[in-house]
Amino acid sequence: MRRVVDIGRRIELVPMDPHFNDISIGLYRQNTNHGHDTPVFLVHTYSRISGAAERIEAVVEAMQVLGGLLKNGDGLLHFPCNSLHEAACRRVFLEACKLASDTPAEPRPLNILDKKSKLTITVDSIGEGVYRVSAEGEGRGAARRVSAIAGGLAKLGEMETVETDNRDTVAFACGESHDALVGLLLTRAPNVRIVLREEDMGAGRGVLSAPSQQT
Amino acid sequence: MPNAMTSRERVLAALRNEPTDRTPVCNPTSVATVELMDLVDAPFPQANREPELMARLAATGYTELGFDTIMPVFTIIQESSALGCKIQWEQKDNWPTVKMREPIWEDVDDIVIPKDFLTHPDTQCVLEAIKILKKEYGDEVAVIGKTMGPWSLGYHCFGVEPFLLLSLDDPGKTKLALDRMKEATVQFGVAQIEAGADALTLPDHATGDLVSGEYYERYLRDLHIEFVDRIPIPLILHICGRTVDRMEYIAQTGMAAFHYDSKNEPKESMDIVQKRIALVGNINNPETLFSKAPEDVKTEVLKNLEAGVPLIGPECAIPLQTTIENLQAIPEVVQGWHKEKIRTEAT
Repeated sequence: MRRVVDIGRRIELVPMDPHFNDISIGLYRQNTNHGHDTPVFLVHTYSRISGAAERIEAVVEAMQVLGGLLKNGDGLLHFPCNSLHEAACRRVFLEACKLASDTPAEPRPLNILDKKSKLTITVDSIGEGVYRVSAEGEGRGAARRVSAIAGGLAKLGEMETVETDNRDTVAFACGESHDALVGLLLTRAPNVRIVLREEDMGAGRGVLSAPSQQT
Repeated sequence: MPNAMTSRERVLAALRNEPTDRTPVCNPTSVATVELMDLVDAPFPQANREPELMARLAATGYTELGFDTIMPVFTIIQESSALGCKIQWEQKDNWPTVKMREPIWEDVDDIVIPKDFLTHPDTQCVLEAIKILKKEYGDEVAVIGKTMGPWSLGYHCFGVEPFLLLSLDDPGKTKLALDRMKEATVQFGVAQIEAGADALTLPDHATGDLVSGEYYERYLRDLHIEFVDRIPIPLILHICGRTVDRMEYIAQTGMAAFHYDSKNEPKESMDIVQKRIALVGNINNPETLFSKAPEDVKTEVLKNLEAGVPLIGPECAIPLQTTIENLQAIPEVVQGWHKEKIRTEAT
């Protein structure tokens, strides 16, 4: 009898969890939350080894802290606004999987030291899902870095760019604030190209090439 | 639609160019994924080296995905390992590869098939896995083995560049090398038949990117005809890339099927081979199965069905991170298409 059941569409995969026996952990999207047509997310592993269920629970808990997601009665995750925010959720999942089960997740602050410019970058929520990026400090090229980091947030979180003179403002289409999520995305936004390159390289693993294409 | 044939009967009939109750779903190469490895606790690289794990993982192609075949030889390196090549076994999420920068042969006279070729752990693993699968699934499902052709072995044992240069500089020596290496192909193939395989995939990587159709005709066509005589079981030739320039020659070999790449259009390929050889494959791996959705898989499956391709499956070994739902979509679409066809014909 088939053991694989329909659990939704897989949107992200960690093929080898470094914190628990190299199991694979998937993030699946379902389109119905308790009869309502709103998206929910399932964290799942096919591994049935002892301790796998606890590891999945640890990832789910970390996602709630890191991304501000909520857990419904079935253990499925969703954003408080009930919008999809799929790219952002994938990012939350990947970051949650990086934490060992015994490492408590902590919400990320809305400011970071940008190593490239030596500036302190802050993101302020100005309501209705709109966030403005600003820079403070002695570093150089502040306007350019602010604009680049705002662009990074938009890319990683599928946020909209709000037209301003400084290109420093982004917004969630749902019109609601997601501070925890923005704090998490902010840690990666200054290096968005590297993040995307890493993801491309990771995706290339496990694709078999013909011998003539191998080195 | 009631199944009038077992999966095994369906696949073998299609390979004999005989009628089937529906188009079989066939994987001449691996459909293993990291999630299926977890499901049955049979991860790479162990599942390439331990027969019980190899059989258990391979069986998921039938039990979980709904294919009509089970193909336990996930890699293309088992016999190269037995020939003495150095292998990078990798981890769960990647394929083992031959270290081709450290070739084991430099000259034709170096070619020796070791006495322990068929008892080496990495060839034995395949033979034992086939026996396990045959015992467990008997007449229910087709068990497909794999034996690598001499062109592929040439890349592995001489290195890609030296072997290609040899083929340019010295056709005589190249033919002699292929002639000597072909014994490994025959020995391993026959041993898999004795172990219980129903059909064999024979990859011979004269791929479209590096080797022309004229090269195929010059170096490989007659060898492949010889394999049909010496390995008495349906053979499925596998060559990656765009290969329409050699399909005419491939159709002349007498092989049962050609496992063809998505770089070839189903209809143009069917037009070339006519009914001389069955086609199987063509569902794109790196883009469609790996990163698109079941609806996109459906489009490609339908394109093959409508062109009259007699066996449906992925074009090559699927990426290890492929989603299970995309793989399950292949048999679902095939079955749905046949149901619809019957319904339309009835009205």
